[in-house]
Amino acid sequence: VSKRKILATRAALTLTPSAVSKIRVLLQDKPEYIGLKVGVRTRGCNGLTYTLDYTKDRDKSDEEVLQDGVRVFIEKKAQLTLLGTEMDFVESKLSSEFVFNNPNIKGTCGCGESFNI
Amino acid sequence: GLRVSQQLHRLPQHPTAGIQRLFSSASAQEKPVVSGPSEDKLHLTESCVKRLGEIMGKGEYLRIHVEGGGCSGFQYKFSVVSDRSEDDRVFEQGGVGVIVDQDSLEFVKGATLDFGQELIRSSFQVLKNPQADHGCSCGSSFSVKL
Repeated sequence: VSKRKILATRAALTLTPSAVSKIRVLLQDKPEYIGLKVGVRTRGCNGLTYTLDYTKDRDKSDEEVLQDGVRVFIEKKAQLTLLGTEMDFVESKLSSEFVFNNPNIKGTCGCGESFNI
Repeated sequence: GLRVSQQLHRLPQHPTAGIQRLFSSASAQEKPVVSGPSEDKLHLTESCVKRLGEIMGKGEYLRIHVEGGGCSGFQYKFSVVSDRSEDDRVFEQGGVGVIVDQDSLEFVKGATLDFGQELIRSSFQVLKNPQADHGCSCGSSFSVKL
């Protein structure tokens, strides 16, 4: 196995300004966490769904995205599916959520929570 | 058709409630019945009531409407409304109200409305719906038990 490291030429994930400011607010009073971690799980009618958690440490295989002072870590399993994706935070009177606008997605669920690639 | 058979079913079980309902719908059409027999109730969780209290203005209600769509056949639609019609049922609790029209109520009666808060998403969700067979992971869509 070669130890050659493939360097990404662009960020695996880009954050919209509203995502950045929401993440900043979420982490503001939680100094024990270094950022958020995005994962992917097999669930939902279209196969995959994203997960989002606070994280205290960076796993060796995590991809780190640092943008405008906030850190988002991407789990190894989620890296391929997220490549080129934009993470946005959408807020309305009835709901608020992080959404992933993924150019690789073939199909989504009605609510957009699950997808296949 | 739907409403008639529903009332016929209800009459033997709840004679007084059934008569009151027939009576009130005949005499005061414009005034929706606030509470009815427990089996076609919509239950509201504490977090749902709390959230509605925060976001709803005076005279505003959360409306749940069931329509065809989503990956499982039916889906829930939520909206904020300030008007209600004679066909609506209103479920009030803790100073907030949720409106469901009769046709939609057939699909959600006995279910629980919750406001779920997770890091990735905060939204209203219909939980424990006795009419729903299996739903989508997010719960916005469901299929009906036959």
